[in-house]
Amino acid sequence: MPPDRVGPNDPRRSRGLWDDAEVILRLENVSKRYARKGDDKIALNGISLELRRGQMMGVYGSTGSGKTTLLHVAGGLETPDRGTVAYKGERLDQMSGAQLRRHRRREIGCVWAGKPWIAGLSVLEQVQLPLLLDGCDHRVAQRAARKFLLACEAGHCIDVDPEDLSDGERQRVAIARALVTEPRLLVADGAVSNLSGVEQEAIMALLGSLAHDAKVAVLIADPSARAMIGANPILYMRDGKLAGTDTATAQAKVYHLPTAGSRRSAADA
Amino acid sequence: MSATHAVLGLLLNKPTYPYELGNQLERRLGPSWAVNTGQLSQIIKRLEKEGLIERVGGATGARDDRRIFAITEAGIQEFERWFSTSAPRGARLPRRPLLVKVSLAGPQRLTEALQQIDSYEDECTTELARLTSEQAKIVDGPIVRADDEFLRLALAENIIEKEGQLEWTKLARERVSWLLEQNAIWPSTRGRAGAANDEARGAREELFRDMAAERHERPKPGKRGRDSAA
Repeated sequence: MPPDRVGPNDPRRSRGLWDDAEVILRLENVSKRYARKGDDKIALNGISLELRRGQMMGVYGSTGSGKTTLLHVAGGLETPDRGTVAYKGERLDQMSGAQLRRHRRREIGCVWAGKPWIAGLSVLEQVQLPLLLDGCDHRVAQRAARKFLLACEAGHCIDVDPEDLSDGERQRVAIARALVTEPRLLVADGAVSNLSGVEQEAIMALLGSLAHDAKVAVLIADPSARAMIGANPILYMRDGKLAGTDTATAQAKVYHLPTAGSRRSAADA
Repeated sequence: MSATHAVLGLLLNKPTYPYELGNQLERRLGPSWAVNTGQLSQIIKRLEKEGLIERVGGATGARDDRRIFAITEAGIQEFERWFSTSAPRGARLPRRPLLVKVSLAGPQRLTEALQQIDSYEDECTTELARLTSEQAKIVDGPIVRADDEFLRLALAENIIEKEGQLEWTKLARERVSWLLEQNAIWPSTRGRAGAANDEARGAREELFRDMAAERHERPKPGKRGRDSAA
Protein backbone atom coordinates (compact mmCIF):
# COMPACT_ATOMS: atom_id res chain seq x y z
CA MET A 1 0.00 0.00 0.00
CA PRO A 2 1.47 3.37 -0.95
CA PRO A 3 1.97 5.83 1.89
CA ASP A 4 -0.85 8.01 0.55
CA ARG A 5 -3.40 5.33 1.28
CA VAL A 6 -2.40 4.69 4.87
CA GLY A 7 -3.91 6.91 7.53
CA PRO A 8 -1.56 9.01 9.63
CA ASN A 9 -2.25 6.97 12.74
CA ASP A 10 -1.92 3.63 11.04
CA PRO A 11 0.75 1.49 12.67
CA ARG A 12 1.71 0.30 9.19
CA ARG A 13 3.26 3.70 8.68
CA SER A 14 6.78 2.65 9.41
CA ARG A 15 9.80 4.55 8.18
CA GLY A 16 10.15 2.48 5.07
CA LEU A 17 6.90 3.81 3.63
CA TRP A 18 8.42 7.17 2.87
CA ASP A 19 11.39 5.83 0.98
CA ASP A 20 9.97 6.90 -2.36
CA ALA A 21 8.81 10.32 -1.25
CA GLU A 22 10.81 13.42 -2.03
CA VAL A 23 13.28 14.45 0.65
CA ILE A 24 12.28 17.87 1.92
CA LEU A 25 14.88 18.33 4.59
CA ARG A 26 18.19 16.61 5.11
CA LEU A 27 20.44 17.30 8.06
CA GLU A 28 23.88 15.79 8.06
CA ASN A 29 26.10 15.76 11.11
CA VAL A 30 24.79 19.11 12.30
CA SER A 31 26.37 20.65 15.38
CA LYS A 32 25.65 23.88 17.14
CA ARG A 33 27.00 25.32 20.35
CA TYR A 34 26.20 28.48 22.22
CA ALA A 35 29.11 30.33 23.77
CA ARG A 36 28.49 30.96 27.42
CA LYS A 37 30.62 32.33 30.17
CA GLY A 38 32.64 29.51 31.68
CA ASP A 39 31.38 26.61 29.63
CA ASP A 40 29.83 26.31 26.20
CA LYS A 41 26.39 24.83 25.85
CA ILE A 42 26.31 22.16 23.18
CA ALA A 43 22.84 22.40 21.72
CA LEU A 44 23.24 20.06 18.77
CA ASN A 45 25.84 17.33 18.64
CA GLY A 46 26.14 15.67 15.25
CA ILE A 47 22.50 15.36 14.26
CA SER A 48 21.55 13.63 11.02
CA LEU A 49 17.99 13.20 9.84
CA GLU A 50 15.87 13.06 6.77
CA LEU A 51 12.36 14.43 6.51
CA ARG A 52 10.27 13.55 3.50
CA ARG A 53 7.23 14.96 1.81
CA GLY A 54 4.08 14.09 3.74
CA GLN A 55 5.93 12.89 6.80
CA MET A 56 5.27 14.07 10.32
CA MET A 57 8.34 13.59 12.46
CA GLY A 58 8.17 14.00 16.22
CA VAL A 59 11.06 14.91 18.49
CA TYR A 60 10.67 14.72 22.23
CA GLY A 61 13.03 15.26 25.10
CA SER A 62 13.35 17.33 28.26
CA THR A 63 14.00 21.07 28.15
CA GLY A 64 17.56 21.87 27.22
CA SER A 65 17.92 18.75 25.11
CA GLY A 66 18.29 20.86 21.94
CA LYS A 67 14.83 20.40 20.40
CA THR A 68 14.26 24.10 19.80
CA THR A 69 17.72 24.59 18.30
CA LEU A 70 17.09 21.64 16.01
CA LEU A 71 13.85 23.22 14.84
CA HIS A 72 15.50 26.61 14.41
CA VAL A 73 18.24 25.06 12.28
CA ALA A 74 15.68 23.07 10.28
CA GLY A 75 13.66 26.20 9.68
CA GLY A 76 16.65 28.26 8.62
CA LEU A 77 16.30 30.56 11.62
CA GLU A 78 19.79 29.66 12.80
CA THR A 79 22.84 28.41 10.97
CA PRO A 80 24.70 25.44 12.39
CA ASP A 81 28.40 25.60 13.34
CA ARG A 82 29.15 22.38 11.47
CA GLY A 83 27.32 20.03 9.17
CA THR A 84 24.95 20.60 6.28
CA VAL A 85 21.29 21.50 6.16
CA ALA A 86 19.65 20.94 2.80
CA TYR A 87 16.09 21.93 1.89
CA LYS A 88 15.01 20.15 -1.30
CA GLY A 89 18.68 19.75 -2.12
CA GLU A 90 19.53 23.41 -1.56
CA ARG A 91 22.10 24.08 1.14
CA LEU A 92 20.65 26.44 3.72
CA ASP A 93 24.01 26.85 5.38
CA GLN A 94 25.43 28.29 2.19
CA MET A 95 22.64 30.74 1.48
CA SER A 96 23.14 34.48 1.69
CA GLY A 97 21.15 36.46 4.21
CA ALA A 98 18.66 37.65 1.59
CA GLN A 99 18.19 34.15 0.19
CA LEU A 100 17.66 32.77 3.66
CA ARG A 101 15.10 35.43 4.49
CA ARG A 102 13.22 34.69 1.29
CA HIS A 103 13.39 30.98 2.09
CA ARG A 104 11.94 31.58 5.54
CA ARG A 105 9.18 33.79 4.16
CA ARG A 106 8.04 31.30 1.56
CA GLU A 107 9.07 27.75 2.29
CA ILE A 108 8.85 27.42 6.05
CA GLY A 109 5.92 27.68 8.39
CA CYS A 110 6.57 28.05 12.11
CA VAL A 111 4.31 27.43 15.08
CA TRP A 112 5.61 28.26 18.52
CA ALA A 113 4.13 27.64 21.94
CA GLY A 114 2.55 30.37 23.97
CA LYS A 115 1.29 33.67 22.58
CA PRO A 116 3.13 34.38 19.38
CA TRP A 117 1.04 37.47 18.70
CA ILE A 118 1.89 40.88 17.47
CA ALA A 119 -0.07 42.94 19.94
CA GLY A 120 -2.84 45.09 18.55
CA LEU A 121 -3.52 43.11 15.39
CA SER A 122 -6.80 41.28 14.85
CA VAL A 123 -6.89 37.54 14.22
CA LEU A 124 -7.32 38.07 10.49
CA GLU A 125 -4.44 40.54 10.39
CA GLN A 126 -2.17 38.15 12.26
CA VAL A 127 -2.80 35.45 9.69
CA GLN A 128 -2.41 37.80 6.72
CA LEU A 129 0.87 39.16 7.95
CA PRO A 130 3.24 36.59 6.39
CA LEU A 131 1.72 37.25 2.97
CA LEU A 132 1.78 41.01 3.39
CA LEU A 133 5.44 40.83 4.39
CA ASP A 134 6.02 38.92 1.18
CA GLY A 135 4.58 41.83 -0.76
CA CYS A 136 1.26 40.22 -1.51
CA ASP A 137 -1.83 42.23 -2.37
CA HIS A 138 -3.94 43.04 0.68
CA ARG A 139 -7.16 41.58 -0.66
CA VAL A 140 -5.55 38.38 -1.87
CA ALA A 141 -3.90 37.99 1.51
CA GLN A 142 -7.19 38.50 3.31
CA ARG A 143 -8.93 35.89 1.20
CA ALA A 144 -6.14 33.38 1.79
CA ALA A 145 -6.18 34.11 5.52
CA ARG A 146 -9.91 33.41 5.73
CA LYS A 147 -9.50 30.21 3.77
CA PHE A 148 -6.77 28.90 6.04
CA LEU A 149 -8.50 29.96 9.25
CA LEU A 150 -11.60 28.08 8.14
CA ALA A 151 -9.58 25.00 7.21
CA CYS A 152 -7.93 25.02 10.64
CA GLU A 153 -11.35 25.12 12.32
CA ALA A 154 -10.69 28.64 13.52
CA GLY A 155 -13.19 30.40 11.27
CA HIS A 156 -15.19 31.44 14.32
CA CYS A 157 -12.13 33.18 15.78
CA ILE A 158 -12.03 35.90 13.14
CA ASP A 159 -14.25 38.25 15.11
CA VAL A 160 -12.73 37.43 18.47
CA ASP A 161 -10.13 39.56 20.21
CA PRO A 162 -6.86 37.55 20.06
CA GLU A 163 -6.53 38.01 23.82
CA ASP A 164 -9.82 36.19 24.37
CA LEU A 165 -8.93 33.05 22.42
CA SER A 166 -8.54 29.80 24.27
CA ASP A 167 -5.17 28.05 24.13
CA GLY A 168 -6.43 25.61 21.52
CA GLU A 169 -7.96 28.31 19.34
CA ARG A 170 -4.74 30.28 19.58
CA GLN A 171 -2.77 27.32 18.28
CA ARG A 172 -5.21 26.88 15.41
CA VAL A 173 -4.78 30.51 14.44
CA ALA A 174 -1.00 30.11 14.75
CA ILE A 175 -1.14 27.07 12.44
CA ALA A 176 -3.28 28.98 9.95
CA ARG A 177 -0.72 31.77 9.99
CA ALA A 178 2.13 29.33 9.47
CA LEU A 179 0.33 27.74 6.52
CA VAL A 180 -0.92 30.83 4.75
CA THR A 181 2.22 31.07 2.61
CA GLU A 182 1.75 27.39 1.66
CA PRO A 183 5.13 26.23 2.92
CA ARG A 184 6.48 22.74 2.22
CA LEU A 185 7.91 22.38 5.70
CA LEU A 186 6.20 23.16 8.99
CA VAL A 187 8.19 23.30 12.20
CA ALA A 188 6.14 23.27 15.39
CA ASP A 189 7.81 23.76 18.74
CA GLY A 190 5.65 22.96 21.75
CA ALA A 191 2.54 23.69 19.72
CA VAL A 192 0.46 21.32 21.83
CA SER A 193 2.30 21.67 25.15
CA ASN A 194 -0.25 23.71 27.06
CA LEU A 195 -3.35 22.01 25.79
CA SER A 196 -5.77 19.58 27.37
CA GLY A 197 -5.86 15.99 26.17
CA VAL A 198 -8.72 16.46 23.74
CA GLU A 199 -7.36 19.68 22.26
CA GLN A 200 -3.94 18.11 21.97
CA GLU A 201 -5.42 15.23 20.04
CA ALA A 202 -7.39 17.59 17.80
CA ILE A 203 -4.36 19.75 16.97
CA MET A 204 -2.21 16.69 16.32
CA ALA A 205 -4.95 15.36 14.04
CA LEU A 206 -4.89 18.66 12.16
CA LEU A 207 -1.10 18.47 11.78
CA GLY A 208 -1.34 14.82 10.79
CA SER A 209 -3.87 15.65 8.12
CA LEU A 210 -1.61 18.46 6.98
CA ALA A 211 1.18 15.96 6.42
CA HIS A 212 -1.05 13.22 5.08
CA ASP A 213 -3.35 15.24 2.83
CA ALA A 214 -1.43 18.41 2.02
CA LYS A 215 1.89 16.54 1.82
CA VAL A 216 3.62 19.10 3.96
CA ALA A 217 6.62 17.81 5.90
CA VAL A 218 5.98 18.43 9.59
CA LEU A 219 8.64 18.53 12.26
CA ILE A 220 7.14 18.76 15.73
CA ALA A 221 8.91 18.98 19.07
CA ASP A 222 7.41 18.61 22.50
CA PRO A 223 8.72 17.76 25.96
CA SER A 224 6.23 14.92 26.21
CA ALA A 225 6.23 11.79 24.08
CA ARG A 226 2.53 11.43 24.74
CA ALA A 227 1.84 14.49 22.61
CA MET A 228 3.23 12.79 19.51
CA ILE A 229 -0.05 11.36 18.32
CA GLY A 230 0.30 10.27 14.72
CA ALA A 231 3.95 11.22 14.32
CA ASN A 232 6.30 8.72 12.72
CA PRO A 233 9.12 8.35 13.40
CA ILE A 234 9.19 9.65 16.93
CA LEU A 235 12.74 10.53 17.94
CA TYR A 236 14.07 10.95 21.43
CA MET A 237 16.52 13.78 21.92
CA ARG A 238 18.99 14.11 24.73
CA ASP A 239 22.00 16.38 25.23
CA GLY A 240 21.94 17.54 21.61
CA LYS A 241 21.84 14.01 20.21
CA LEU A 242 19.11 11.92 18.79
CA ALA A 243 19.19 9.09 21.26
CA GLY A 244 17.52 6.62 18.96
CA THR A 245 14.55 6.20 16.70
CA ASP A 246 12.39 5.14 19.56
CA THR A 247 9.15 5.11 17.67
CA ALA A 248 7.86 1.87 19.13
CA THR A 249 8.37 2.92 22.75
CA ALA A 250 7.01 6.38 22.10
CA GLN A 251 4.03 5.02 20.23
CA ALA A 252 3.38 2.70 23.11
CA LYS A 253 3.24 5.78 25.31
CA VAL A 254 1.05 7.63 22.83
CA TYR A 255 -1.40 4.84 22.23
CA HIS A 256 -1.10 3.27 25.68
CA LEU A 257 0.21 0.01 24.26
CA PRO A 258 2.14 -2.42 26.40
CA THR A 259 5.87 -1.92 25.88
CA ALA A 260 7.02 -5.29 24.66
CA GLY A 261 10.34 -6.07 23.05
CA SER A 262 8.58 -8.03 20.33
CA ARG A 263 6.63 -4.99 19.27
CA ARG A 264 9.78 -2.98 18.71
CA SER A 265 11.50 -5.61 16.63
CA ALA A 266 8.33 -6.03 14.59
CA ALA A 267 8.17 -2.31 13.87
CA ASP A 268 11.83 -2.13 12.88
CA ALA A 269 11.70 -5.20 10.68
CA MET B 1 -39.00 17.52 54.23
CA SER B 2 -41.24 20.53 54.22
CA ALA B 3 -42.12 22.71 57.16
CA THR B 4 -45.64 21.24 57.27
CA HIS B 5 -45.05 18.92 60.17
CA ALA B 6 -43.01 21.51 62.00
CA VAL B 7 -46.02 23.83 61.83
CA LEU B 8 -48.26 21.06 63.18
CA GLY B 9 -45.78 20.49 65.99
CA LEU B 10 -45.78 24.14 66.91
CA LEU B 11 -49.57 24.22 67.03
CA LEU B 12 -49.60 21.13 69.23
CA ASN B 13 -49.10 23.18 72.37
CA LYS B 14 -51.22 26.23 71.76
CA PRO B 15 -53.22 27.94 69.03
CA THR B 16 -51.50 30.95 67.50
CA TYR B 17 -51.27 33.45 64.62
CA PRO B 18 -49.50 32.42 61.42
CA TYR B 19 -47.04 35.27 61.90
CA GLU B 20 -46.06 33.86 65.25
CA LEU B 21 -45.62 30.42 63.65
CA GLY B 22 -43.14 31.83 61.15
CA ASN B 23 -41.20 33.53 63.91
CA GLN B 24 -41.06 30.44 66.06
CA LEU B 25 -39.96 28.23 63.20
CA GLU B 26 -36.79 30.21 62.78
CA ARG B 27 -36.25 31.03 66.42
CA ARG B 28 -36.64 27.50 67.68
CA LEU B 29 -35.37 25.41 64.79
CA GLY B 30 -32.64 27.60 63.33
CA PRO B 31 -32.14 29.66 60.19
CA SER B 32 -32.43 26.67 57.86
CA TRP B 33 -36.13 26.48 58.74
CA ALA B 34 -36.89 30.06 57.87
CA VAL B 35 -39.93 30.37 55.58
CA ASN B 36 -41.34 33.47 53.97
CA THR B 37 -44.89 34.69 54.40
CA GLY B 38 -46.00 33.29 51.07
CA GLN B 39 -44.72 29.79 51.81
CA LEU B 40 -46.24 29.88 55.29
CA SER B 41 -49.59 31.02 53.94
CA GLN B 42 -49.58 28.11 51.49
CA ILE B 43 -48.78 25.61 54.23
CA ILE B 44 -51.59 26.99 56.37
CA LYS B 45 -54.08 26.86 53.50
CA ARG B 46 -53.20 23.27 52.69
CA LEU B 47 -53.36 22.14 56.31
CA GLU B 48 -56.72 23.85 56.75
CA LYS B 49 -58.07 22.28 53.57
CA GLU B 50 -56.97 18.84 54.74
CA GLY B 51 -58.70 19.46 58.06
CA LEU B 52 -55.52 19.14 60.10
CA ILE B 53 -55.86 22.63 61.56
CA GLU B 54 -58.82 24.93 62.07
CA ARG B 55 -59.52 28.54 62.74
CA VAL B 56 -60.42 29.16 66.37
CA GLY B 57 -60.51 32.93 66.70
CA GLY B 58 -58.97 36.24 65.93
CA ALA B 59 -60.24 39.04 63.78
CA THR B 60 -62.85 38.19 61.16
CA GLY B 61 -61.84 38.52 57.52
CA ALA B 62 -60.23 36.66 54.69
CA ARG B 63 -56.62 37.38 55.62
CA ASP B 64 -55.32 34.35 57.45
CA ASP B 65 -52.57 36.34 59.18
CA ARG B 66 -55.26 37.94 61.29
CA ARG B 67 -56.70 34.61 62.40
CA ILE B 68 -55.72 32.18 65.10
CA PHE B 69 -55.29 28.54 64.17
CA ALA B 70 -55.39 25.42 66.31
CA ILE B 71 -54.56 21.82 65.59
CA THR B 72 -57.48 19.41 65.08
CA GLU B 73 -57.80 15.81 66.23
CA ALA B 74 -56.87 14.67 62.73
CA GLY B 75 -53.87 16.99 62.89
CA ILE B 76 -52.66 15.47 66.13
CA GLN B 77 -52.98 11.98 64.63
CA GLU B 78 -51.05 13.07 61.55
CA PHE B 79 -48.31 14.53 63.73
CA GLU B 80 -48.10 11.32 65.80
CA ARG B 81 -47.95 9.22 62.64
CA TRP B 82 -45.17 11.38 61.22
CA PHE B 83 -43.32 11.37 64.54
CA SER B 84 -43.28 7.58 64.81
CA THR B 85 -42.22 6.87 61.23
CA SER B 86 -38.52 7.06 60.53
CA ALA B 87 -37.29 9.17 57.65
CA PRO B 88 -38.70 7.22 54.68
CA ARG B 89 -36.07 7.98 52.08
CA GLY B 90 -33.16 7.52 54.44
CA ALA B 91 -30.38 10.05 54.55
CA ARG B 92 -30.81 11.89 51.29
CA LEU B 93 -27.57 13.23 49.92
CA PRO B 94 -27.65 16.87 48.99
CA ARG B 95 -27.09 17.83 45.38
CA ARG B 96 -24.21 20.19 44.84
CA PRO B 97 -24.81 22.52 41.90
CA LEU B 98 -21.18 23.60 41.99
CA LEU B 99 -19.92 20.09 41.39
CA VAL B 100 -22.21 19.78 38.40
CA LYS B 101 -20.78 23.00 37.02
CA VAL B 102 -17.21 21.91 37.63
CA SER B 103 -17.62 18.50 36.06
CA LEU B 104 -19.44 19.85 33.05
CA ALA B 105 -17.10 22.81 32.63
CA GLY B 106 -14.93 21.08 30.05
CA PRO B 107 -11.19 21.41 29.76
CA GLN B 108 -11.22 24.97 28.47
CA ARG B 109 -13.16 26.31 31.41
CA LEU B 110 -11.40 24.51 34.24
CA THR B 111 -9.75 27.75 35.30
CA GLU B 112 -13.16 29.36 35.49
CA ALA B 113 -14.36 26.40 37.53
CA LEU B 114 -11.49 27.02 39.95
CA GLN B 115 -12.69 30.61 40.39
CA GLN B 116 -16.18 29.33 41.16
CA ILE B 117 -14.76 26.99 43.76
CA ASP B 118 -12.97 29.98 45.30
CA SER B 119 -16.11 32.09 45.48
CA TYR B 120 -18.05 29.14 46.86
CA GLU B 121 -15.45 28.83 49.57
CA ASP B 122 -15.84 32.53 50.37
CA GLU B 123 -19.61 32.09 50.66
CA CYS B 124 -19.16 29.09 52.93
CA THR B 125 -16.75 31.01 55.15
CA THR B 126 -19.14 33.95 55.46
CA GLU B 127 -22.06 31.65 56.20
CA LEU B 128 -20.03 29.72 58.74
CA ALA B 129 -19.09 32.93 60.52
CA ARG B 130 -22.75 33.98 60.57
CA LEU B 131 -23.90 30.66 61.99
CA THR B 132 -21.18 30.65 64.62
CA SER B 133 -22.08 34.15 65.81
CA GLU B 134 -25.74 33.10 65.85
CA GLN B 135 -24.84 30.19 68.04
CA ALA B 136 -22.76 32.40 70.32
CA LYS B 137 -25.83 34.58 70.91
CA ILE B 138 -27.46 31.76 72.85
CA VAL B 139 -26.46 32.54 76.39
CA ASP B 140 -26.83 30.04 79.18
CA GLY B 141 -28.78 31.55 82.05
CA PRO B 142 -29.64 30.15 85.45
CA ILE B 143 -32.77 28.62 83.97
CA VAL B 144 -32.26 25.75 81.54
CA ARG B 145 -34.37 26.31 78.43
CA ALA B 146 -34.94 23.29 76.22
CA ASP B 147 -35.53 25.53 73.21
CA ASP B 148 -32.09 27.08 73.53
CA GLU B 149 -30.49 23.69 73.56
CA PHE B 150 -32.39 22.53 70.48
CA LEU B 151 -31.58 25.74 68.59
CA ARG B 152 -27.94 25.26 69.47
CA LEU B 153 -28.14 21.72 68.11
CA ALA B 154 -29.85 22.90 64.92
CA LEU B 155 -27.16 25.48 64.36
CA ALA B 156 -24.49 22.89 65.11
CA GLU B 157 -25.89 20.71 62.33
CA ASN B 158 -25.61 23.62 59.89
CA ILE B 159 -22.15 24.53 61.10
CA ILE B 160 -20.84 21.00 60.75
CA GLU B 161 -22.30 20.81 57.27
CA LYS B 162 -20.66 24.09 56.26
CA GLU B 163 -17.36 22.93 57.70
CA GLY B 164 -17.66 19.83 55.58
CA GLN B 165 -18.35 21.94 52.51
CA LEU B 166 -15.29 24.07 53.27
CA GLU B 167 -13.21 20.92 53.54
CA TRP B 168 -14.66 19.83 50.22
CA THR B 169 -13.72 23.09 48.47
CA LYS B 170 -10.11 22.56 49.53
CA LEU B 171 -10.15 19.05 48.09
CA ALA B 172 -11.93 20.25 44.95
CA ARG B 173 -9.38 23.01 44.35
CA GLU B 174 -6.50 20.60 44.82
CA ARG B 175 -7.96 18.00 42.47
CA VAL B 176 -9.07 20.44 39.77
CA SER B 177 -5.65 22.13 39.80
CA TRP B 178 -4.10 18.72 39.46
CA LEU B 179 -6.43 17.89 36.61
CA LEU B 180 -5.37 21.07 34.83
CA GLU B 181 -1.85 19.72 34.57
CA GLN B 182 -2.87 16.30 33.30
CA ASN B 183 -3.54 15.01 29.84
CA ALA B 184 -6.88 13.81 31.06
CA ILE B 185 -9.37 12.24 28.71
CA TRP B 186 -12.55 14.29 28.59
CA PRO B 187 -15.86 13.21 27.20
CA SER B 188 -15.69 14.81 23.81
CA THR B 189 -17.60 18.03 23.46
CA ARG B 190 -18.46 19.92 20.37
CA GLY B 191 -16.39 23.02 20.75
CA ARG B 192 -17.36 26.63 20.44
CA ALA B 193 -17.12 26.18 16.71
CA GLY B 194 -20.05 23.75 16.78
CA ALA B 195 -21.49 23.00 13.38
CA ALA B 196 -18.80 25.13 11.76
CA ASN B 197 -16.50 22.12 12.18
CA ASP B 198 -18.21 20.23 9.38
CA GLU B 199 -17.81 23.21 7.09
CA ALA B 200 -14.20 23.44 8.19
CA ARG B 201 -13.58 19.79 7.36
CA GLY B 202 -14.78 20.28 3.81
CA ALA B 203 -12.76 23.45 3.39
CA ARG B 204 -9.70 21.73 4.80
CA GLU B 205 -9.95 18.71 2.54
CA GLU B 206 -10.17 20.92 -0.52
CA LEU B 207 -7.40 23.25 0.57
CA PHE B 208 -5.05 20.46 1.58
CA ARG B 209 -5.64 18.68 -1.70
CA ASP B 210 -4.68 21.86 -3.53
CA MET B 211 -1.59 22.19 -1.38
CA ALA B 212 -0.59 18.61 -2.08
CA ALA B 213 -0.95 19.22 -5.80
CA GLU B 214 1.43 22.17 -5.33
CA ARG B 215 -0.63 24.11 -7.76
CA HIS B 216 0.96 26.96 -5.90
CA GLU B 217 -1.21 29.89 -6.60
CA ARG B 218 1.32 31.92 -4.74
CA PRO B 219 0.04 35.48 -4.73
CA LYS B 220 2.21 37.58 -6.97
CA PRO B 221 4.52 39.84 -5.02
CA GLY B 222 3.62 43.48 -5.46
CA LYS B 223 6.00 46.38 -5.66
CA ARG B 224 7.10 45.85 -2.11
CA GLY B 225 8.45 42.39 -2.91
CA ARG B 226 12.09 43.35 -2.79
CA ASP B 227 13.84 40.21 -3.87
CA SER B 228 11.15 38.68 -6.07
CA ALA B 229 13.70 38.25 -8.84
CA ALA B 230 16.05 36.26 -6.63
